[in-house]
Amino acid sequence: MDEKLINAENLSLLVSDLLNEKHLVICQDEKAVGWKSINDAGKLVINNAGVPSNISYKEFILPKTEPIFFFKNEKENFNLVEKDPADQKMIFIGAKPCDARSIEIMSKVFNWDYKDKFFNKRAENSIVIGVACSYQDEFCFCTSVGLSPVTEKGSDIFLIPLNEENYALRIVTDKGKEFIKSYEKYFSDGNTGASKAVLEKINIPAKKFDTLKVKEWITNNFENKLFDEAGSICIGCGQCAFACPVCHCFDIIDEECSYTCGRRMKNWDACQFGQFTLHSSGHNPRNNQSKRYRQRIAHKFKYYHDKFEEILCTGCGRCSRGCPVGIDIAKVAEEINLSANQA
Amino acid sequence: MNELREKAKDLLQSGTVKVIIGYTGTSDPYRTKPFIARTAEDADKLVFNNYCVNNLAVYLTRKEYKQNGIVGIVAKGCDVKAIIQLIQENQINKDDIYIIGINCNAQVQELGKEFGSETIATKCLNCFVRTPRLQHTLIGTINELPKREDVHLEKLKKLESMTSEERWEFWEKEFERCVKCYACRQVCPLCFCDRCIADKSIPQWIESSAHKRGNFSWNIIRAFHLSGRCIGCNECERACPSDIPLSLLNRKMGMFARKEFDYAAGMSLDAPTLVGSYNTNDRQDFIK
Repeated sequence: MDEKLINAENLSLLVSDLLNEKHLVICQDEKAVGWKSINDAGKLVINNAGVPSNISYKEFILPKTEPIFFFKNEKENFNLVEKDPADQKMIFIGAKPCDARSIEIMSKVFNWDYKDKFFNKRAENSIVIGVACSYQDEFCFCTSVGLSPVTEKGSDIFLIPLNEENYALRIVTDKGKEFIKSYEKYFSDGNTGASKAVLEKINIPAKKFDTLKVKEWITNNFENKLFDEAGSICIGCGQCAFACPVCHCFDIIDEECSYTCGRRMKNWDACQFGQFTLHSSGHNPRNNQSKRYRQRIAHKFKYYHDKFEEILCTGCGRCSRGCPVGIDIAKVAEEINLSANQA
Repeated sequence: MNELREKAKDLLQSGTVKVIIGYTGTSDPYRTKPFIARTAEDADKLVFNNYCVNNLAVYLTRKEYKQNGIVGIVAKGCDVKAIIQLIQENQINKDDIYIIGINCNAQVQELGKEFGSETIATKCLNCFVRTPRLQHTLIGTINELPKREDVHLEKLKKLESMTSEERWEFWEKEFERCVKCYACRQVCPLCFCDRCIADKSIPQWIESSAHKRGNFSWNIIRAFHLSGRCIGCNECERACPSDIPLSLLNRKMGMFARKEFDYAAGMSLDAPTLVGSYNTNDRQDFIK
């Protein structure tokens, strides 16, 4: 296995180089609210042992709001100017496995029939430097969705903190290899033994539920009162969807500068909003919160898996940690699992 | 706790209420979550402690509960303020609810942390409704509270000392993080509009995009809509995933209402609402 070493000083110099080359360097913010692009190497935060930020770095790949084209209407002429995403390299540093996997998972839906140029351009331009995670709380469940605190899945380069000053690096993808090659001077050759020992010390939490059983249960229990329990207290906000590293629904709206010009916007949307499925006729197929909650669970564990053989969840636990009314998605899945076992 | 469960059981078994909106425990002793008790068995799952931060009055305006006969609700003094305000604004009928009032010994600021002098919610520090002002039954006893500095008030004073340009800059930075998840609105018992102005698209009064203009208009309009109505439960700030200090806005507007109109929201069933009433003696010299 290719393994390299970098110390804190060289990491800082590397970040300065990246910034000088006008790349975006993105890491978690100090308050663990979200992720930010930094303008100074001193501001780099690698949060391998703390709670995941409230909001994932999804917004750098799928912005919370962005124009997709501009239009102008002058007498007989209708002008449409397409917008392209900025062509800028983005280096995500310190992505825990539950973050690192997000781009791969979302790329399935953004390349299913229509190839989304906005998503793809940004994904192409991304280098994900993952980090072995030594944080764990009651909301984490990465092992239940096929990940683990020490998995390299989703990362281009995987960091293993050896101590406060030194990191071992594993090269995971060709993209990662190329990146390391371009900045070779900052890395030295590593000794796999040291990083192995660190990884072995990290506790791998037990699986909380079996996603395939959850999927099968949903297939046979579309109408089930289990969804009412969450539905009866869910207040219908978008915290869960917007904090999620892989929820990707968006709304398309026109913003008007005036009657003659405007721009078409692509904005985050959430399936827990009452208006999400409201038809212009007034009919709403998901007319109560239980149905909306069922959609959330079914999309994550059934529909996305049916279509792409991928679970639409990385087990980061953000939705549960931040839910204003304490709905815990892993607990719901556990309950479904239990119910499936009893059947 | 037993007192609460016994009372709840009585109410459900006798048919006095159809459901009771309360709190139940979670696997974390420092958290609870809202819970709808429908049977005597459910009543045994109800809890009340220092981790019952949710303002359950938000559920009272939901049609599924409103339509079902008399709704019981476990309510702290601050939650009862919201209930009173809802009754004043004709959103619920006093006779359709049964309030199990709780003598409250304060709540934790942030769920998941142990309650104590470091973590007591700032809104609880100078609370004058620890015994609710409207209830059908009252449970619990008042104990002395841990002391803590009001860090929110300090922040507010700092804001007040700024120039308007500085304040604009402050809020610009804060609102920049808004993702328009509307957790602030959804968790708010007084944000009950069937169709929020933010969801109207013909015409679109507030841009739904989470850019600077959209975020400013949303957050400022919400603050205005809650002026003289916000009862200060701080649920919006707690629910905000982007950590926007919304309580500073709401608290300031509440202070205005008190100072300029001698009005505090949710304190009197019979008082006309501040925005819904007009008095020729109302001051207007502060409007610039």
